[in-house]
Amino acid sequence: MRVAERTRPDAGKAAAVTAGSSVPSTTHEGGRKRRGVNREGLEAGRRSTRTILWILLAAAMVLYGFPFLYLLFTSFKTPIDTIAVPPTVLPKEWTLENYVNALGRSGVVASFINSIQTAIISTLLSLVLAIPAAYGITRYKTPSGRVFIMAALVTRMVPPVAIGIPLASMMASVGMADTPIALSIAHTTISLPLSIWLMSSFFEAVPRDLEEAATVDGCSRLGALWRVVIPVVSGGIAVTAIFAFLASWNEFLFALLMTAIRSQTTPVVIANFQTQFGLDWGSMTALAAVYSIPVILLTLLLQRKIVAGMTLGAVKG
Amino acid sequence: MSTRKTINRFAVIGGLCTAVALAATGCGAGGPSSTGSAASSTVNVLVEAGGHAELTGVAEQCKKDTGVTANFVELPYDGMFNRLSSEFSSGNVSFDVAALDSVWLPSFKDAVQPIDELFTDEAKKDIFPALVKEANVDGHFIGMPAWTNAEIILYRKDLFDDPKNKADFKAKYGYELAAPTTWKQYQEISAFFTKDGMYGTDVKGAVETEWLAHVLQAGSPMVLDADGKVVVDNAAHKEALDFYTSLVKSAPSGAAQVDWAAAQNLFNQGKTAMTRFWAHAYRQIPKDSPVAGKVGAAPMIGGSAGVAGVPGPWYLSVPKATKNTEAAKKFVKCAYDHNSMGIESSLGLAARISAFEKYQDKTGYESFKPLIETLSGKATQTRPATAKWQQIVDTVLIPTLQKAVAGGDSAALLADAKKQIEALLK
Repeated sequence: MRVAERTRPDAGKAAAVTAGSSVPSTTHEGGRKRRGVNREGLEAGRRSTRTILWILLAAAMVLYGFPFLYLLFTSFKTPIDTIAVPPTVLPKEWTLENYVNALGRSGVVASFINSIQTAIISTLLSLVLAIPAAYGITRYKTPSGRVFIMAALVTRMVPPVAIGIPLASMMASVGMADTPIALSIAHTTISLPLSIWLMSSFFEAVPRDLEEAATVDGCSRLGALWRVVIPVVSGGIAVTAIFAFLASWNEFLFALLMTAIRSQTTPVVIANFQTQFGLDWGSMTALAAVYSIPVILLTLLLQRKIVAGMTLGAVKG
Repeated sequence: MSTRKTINRFAVIGGLCTAVALAATGCGAGGPSSTGSAASSTVNVLVEAGGHAELTGVAEQCKKDTGVTANFVELPYDGMFNRLSSEFSSGNVSFDVAALDSVWLPSFKDAVQPIDELFTDEAKKDIFPALVKEANVDGHFIGMPAWTNAEIILYRKDLFDDPKNKADFKAKYGYELAAPTTWKQYQEISAFFTKDGMYGTDVKGAVETEWLAHVLQAGSPMVLDADGKVVVDNAAHKEALDFYTSLVKSAPSGAAQVDWAAAQNLFNQGKTAMTRFWAHAYRQIPKDSPVAGKVGAAPMIGGSAGVAGVPGPWYLSVPKATKNTEAAKKFVKCAYDHNSMGIESSLGLAARISAFEKYQDKTGYESFKPLIETLSGKATQTRPATAKWQQIVDTVLIPTLQKAVAGGDSAALLADAKKQIEALLK
């Protein structure tokens, strides 16, 4: 209940209204005028603050969005336009030729399927391992749990190439070279530590009272986790899933070291447009633009869950 | 009951995950396995993305001729060395043939098989001498050249043929305006065209090959002599570096950061009148480029030792760890036999002299005569055969060059470079 109150989006506004109504009324003309002037001043102040915030937001959006927009525009440029000196933002002549070239290249469709397959497996693996790990750590709070959660970050402190080369050899020696599952396991080493950390913060935000109430109603510990806790942290799970999916979707180094004919993913294929003999900007940007569509769709689809997850992670019961 | 249901749900989810995982283990979407354990008539060929096209037609022909099917594993250049190192060191390779950049041969000499039987006397006559020498490491041939390249001169024919330019140039320098053959001519022509927002040439500070070609033209081996002694501070290196930096005033600003891609862009955009560039670029000028159809090709310029270039060949090698040696060697031989087919690809290169000669008089292949002349130059040499070469380039030669084009003292820079290289080779 406290959580719900705290997280109500209009709570601040309601408090402001309540505060406004508690000001003692007066019939004094000068007082009204002063109050009117104060209100106008406050309103003007709010407006200018809002304007500044909007400008800052717009600037941040441009800053973050411009590289992607530039990539998108480049994908519609003619070959000579892509290498213009000085570069231009908008194409002089719009063309779909780059998309035809990029998508017509052998192996592109297969690489998309491999990317999807690998990212889904890696995401599932991360969630299946991170949820119970994070739940155990936050609920039992043992010293070994604290050591474990710190140790989980160690893999993030090692340069990926130091893990990638031995991992590639290990996978080859057990006959799993060039398979999506091998790459998925490798990707899980990237996403699992942070998934555990993320899920831990989400579980921390769930009051123990909820589980105790569920236990009183007859749920087992596992039942309480499944029926009560997991639905409450579903937003957090969505955030973690997106994070794990993106980590696998965009990963390059492990894919480079561990895949060949059967399981090559699209980031490697995109990189293949840069060769020792030149760089095909148009095709490269076209394929990168197409490759970003599933992630954009997924983010839009889970937008509400993500926002809910972020809010959940921000408060602790 | 709730516990049972919960356990059931977990079991279903776990089962699904396992099913997906198991299905994925054997079901990549890319095609057949890349790790065939038994000998077969299918070979996996590891190739840099840019070179893939070179071998596509050859592979089709080889399937018809020998029954060997080639599956290509295409990788970006920047990641290929890591991949090769990883697989060679594990002793478990996912490929039966690898296309290796010449600079990698010394690093992987112990991981690939000798293919001496493919280097017949006839073959050796048909391969550029510098390449025959480079393919032989520690007394064995370990790579068959698949295609090669070298820097030549690309110039704006329309500007060189312009009567006013011709007259003005002759009036100023006292000789006819034509494709340069010497350092002095290159300097003067570059200076002549540097006007009205245009530049005579580019200067590439971010790549070392061009400076090294000038070192060869000045009569010295590159960086290391035949005994492995560091000679980067000798007179020829300094002379070449001084010539290189003398062109900065006739080139666009920011020379220290200009690499191959930037130089190619500048030329294709019509910003430079000449460029020293890899020969394949002649056929890769975009059709909508302002210079399309206006470009001429000439051999690399010469110094006191004559015309020289640094070849950029790729070799097909067979790893020792492959279980498919016979088919792999068959493919390598077949690729050599049909080497000229690579010329019809988008990259348009070959390795055999006869292949280049077959096309040199055809329209669209005007860069081949200059390429043959450059590759056949007496002073033309491949890079030193040391496994540390890439490290020397990245950590010493390029930084030295960048400081030099930014105005550094060439003698002091080369002396410092010598110390650094000696330390690396210890």
